[in-house]
Amino acid sequence: MPTIVFYLLTLAVFGAIYGTLAMGLNIQWGYTGILDFMYIAFVALGGYVTSLLMLPPSQPALGETYVLGLNWPFIPAIIVGGLAAALLALIVGLLALNRLRSDYFAIVTVAASLVLYTIAGNDTPLVNGWDGISGIPQPFQGAFNLDANGYGFFFFGLCLVILLIVYIFSERLYRSPFGRALRSVREDEMVAQGLGKNVFSLRLKAFVIGAFIAGIGGSLLVIYVDAFNPSAWTTGETFFLWAALLLGGSANNRGAMLGALIVPVLFAEITRFLPTFGSPQVVDAFRYIAIGVLLILTVRFRPQGIIAEKRFRVRKSKLQKLQPALAGASPGVHITDADLEDDAGILPARGTPAQDEEGRTL
Amino acid sequence: MTLLHNLLLYFGFGIITASILSIAAVGLSLQFGITNYINFAYGDLLTFGVYTAFVVNQKMGLNIWIGLVVAVILTAVLAWLINLFILRPFTDRGTSPIIMLVVTLGISLILQNVILAVFSEQFQNYTMNTGSPLSIGPFLFTPLQLGIIGLAVATMLAVHVLLRYTRLGKAMRAVSDSPELARVSGINTRLIVNAVWLMAGGLAGLSGVVLAFNVASFTPTVGFGFLFVIFAAVILGGIGSPYGAIAGALVVGVATEMSPAFISSEYKDAVAFAILIIALLIRPQGIFASRGRA
Amino acid sequence: MSSETPMSQPSTGTTARGATVTAQPANKIILDTRNMMKSFGGLRAVDDCSFTVARGSITGLIGPNGAGKSTAANMITGFIRADSGNIMFDGKDIARMPVHTIARRGLTRTFQITRELERMTVTENLMAAPHDQLGESFWLGLLDLPAVRRQEDEFLQRALQLLQDFDLYHLRDEYAGNLSGGQRRLLELARVVMTKPKLLLLDEPFAGINPVLASRLSDYIKVLCREKGITFLIIEHNLAMVERLCHTVIVMALGRTIAEGTMAELRQNPAVVDAYLGEG
Repeated sequence: MPTIVFYLLTLAVFGAIYGTLAMGLNIQWGYTGILDFMYIAFVALGGYVTSLLMLPPSQPALGETYVLGLNWPFIPAIIVGGLAAALLALIVGLLALNRLRSDYFAIVTVAASLVLYTIAGNDTPLVNGWDGISGIPQPFQGAFNLDANGYGFFFFGLCLVILLIVYIFSERLYRSPFGRALRSVREDEMVAQGLGKNVFSLRLKAFVIGAFIAGIGGSLLVIYVDAFNPSAWTTGETFFLWAALLLGGSANNRGAMLGALIVPVLFAEITRFLPTFGSPQVVDAFRYIAIGVLLILTVRFRPQGIIAEKRFRVRKSKLQKLQPALAGASPGVHITDADLEDDAGILPARGTPAQDEEGRTL
Repeated sequence: MTLLHNLLLYFGFGIITASILSIAAVGLSLQFGITNYINFAYGDLLTFGVYTAFVVNQKMGLNIWIGLVVAVILTAVLAWLINLFILRPFTDRGTSPIIMLVVTLGISLILQNVILAVFSEQFQNYTMNTGSPLSIGPFLFTPLQLGIIGLAVATMLAVHVLLRYTRLGKAMRAVSDSPELARVSGINTRLIVNAVWLMAGGLAGLSGVVLAFNVASFTPTVGFGFLFVIFAAVILGGIGSPYGAIAGALVVGVATEMSPAFISSEYKDAVAFAILIIALLIRPQGIFASRGRA
Repeated sequence: MSSETPMSQPSTGTTARGATVTAQPANKIILDTRNMMKSFGGLRAVDDCSFTVARGSITGLIGPNGAGKSTAANMITGFIRADSGNIMFDGKDIARMPVHTIARRGLTRTFQITRELERMTVTENLMAAPHDQLGESFWLGLLDLPAVRRQEDEFLQRALQLLQDFDLYHLRDEYAGNLSGGQRRLLELARVVMTKPKLLLLDEPFAGINPVLASRLSDYIKVLCREKGITFLIIEHNLAMVERLCHTVIVMALGRTIAEGTMAELRQNPAVVDAYLGEG
């Protein structure tokens, strides 16, 4: 196919995969307020496990050693990959989520990520060390008699389907009382506890669910890239995704997908057109500088991101349904606006100045 | 070489690492005790110190010790400027520690990659004379390494004197122990915050340069790579307690340097990370619990 | 006496008025703290503190600054763990239970400085409140079963009704973070009422409120007590409000209870007068 089409297709696939990954991170951060800097480790673990299941047994004689290698088909492999990531999250969460406040938990996640990174690289029989794995069988290859070009579109379709499933799942979760409970934990943990919510349990669930999605997205990523080694999942990559989520809009899935499109995809491609002076690592440096600047500016001036979290409004139809049942206020209790106006300003509002969803200070 | 001999040798290396680490750990501990948020960019302040000395030494051809002094001063100023222009707009609005961490993350990315863009990722080194190794009992130190240890001890003493006997030091301790009470008592917290950033920056710069002394060659990620080892020391010792940080530095420094006697030396860093994780999980308030804030 | 006693019906109508509460049968007492202790460092914030709260009453908890009222409140609601002692709530010892378990048993509280779920709307704040939400389970919430939807409608109706009662209805779609101080107080009260509590602990609800609003608030507390059978334990410095509102008052000083009774009785009590240094 013409290179421009191939190029756009590559962008589209990455966009879909990063969108999936961003939505998983969103459930942890946007919904629940968990600062997770090891997200990329979940991505990597899911990718590794799925690939290792799908690969044929390793051949040390040819210089590659890894575990598993069971020739599994795609669908069970990717599910197990997601579960593996979820399991890691469960372990980390059980050990650390209940004991530490959010910023310390973030530190633990980075440390855990670095430890895993070191092990993966050095313990060669595990995942072929620093050289990594490659040659992963592509899903459904040969099933539909597609040539190389056709398969490219097919794989994109596959990623799109998974993106859609994750989107519907995440939206449903957000609107449910479960999602509301997560958000109450995000907003004020003490209040949530006082309302009978088991904060630890909710956080753990969000952490594990987000990790599962990371594993799914990671599987797609590793299969697509087809060559995966530890340098692909340094902590820098988590920050990349993080910036994407923060910029696009936390706590809402459209924002997550938008961020996933803008930051990794557009960014990487824009710097492609910058004059390359110096090695690839120097060009990389500019990307990261831009990410850093973007992070600070976003948090300062538009913390809710480009697409803000949608405000829950009671629908008129709902009101009409319930209206007849609503009696007037009980006699002798009516508290009027005049009472409320009098004390405005006496009680200091807690925390940062209140803003509406467009960021205007009210 | 008997095992004991090896262990003692490694122990000596551990003391050197602990010396380098303690300077940085004290700086971070002081800063955290007063500002109450984790500073992800601290490692990159070390890197800034490293490369400042590099410029003075290699580009201007001056003695490395001059470079060290310049590095300390300039890193202190940089830290102060960062607080003034980037961090203060957030802290003035009462931003939560989590968001502050994100902001320092952004600063880290910028600082680290600006240095990378300017100096490239190649290994660099200073032009200096380390002197030949001396045998002191079972240990093997170069004069330079002895100098590092001496510098660390001197720095610890200076910090101790500052905290214990000067007005500034006492005010810093007050703010660290109880910020609300300190403010109500009329202590100028803004001044204290500025002072602590200058100090933390200076200590970071110093620590970076002596780190570079010890590793012989460095890249722009040298500081960031060291950051989690510093975290391990600070958290083990107890957040906000500079004395605890010294103890933590000793433990972490010696443990990481002695680990090659038992496990592959590629996992040296992982030892520090493991200590960090275990410290946070088992005893978040550290050895010297001052404020159990984890 | 620490075995679980069967839960009795909440009493409606009149409440116990009297100095001593120790003579009453167990099921008339909803909260019974026994020898609560809490130290911070070397400081004994709560030092062998014991008192009882009669079911269906509005009970005040007063005392000079540093008496340990806030610490005691935090211990009762589970935010601080007692070093020793028992806290019998509805017959069960809740002293070592986590906050959310205590809340689910019917003991909820408001905070001294109002806390709300700021980036959620007023309505959402109320709808997040009830304990027994089927939809809060991951699977049931995900599947959006009819039972979940019915419950959501029920919660919404209750929430809107409460908003009307408190005249916050026009703010139903407003972010809680945008409310004024007085509105936040009302929201916080409405939120805890949504949980259908048995015992409500209010932490200085009248602090910083103008007298007109305070009077309305106290009227509403009386109505809630009378009509919904909610027991109130109110920590307060505003002794005028306490006198007006509370049947029984407990006085704490230096970490322990020094007296219990009506305000009139307490005024005669030399220990109480001493503790307040003439104030009151």
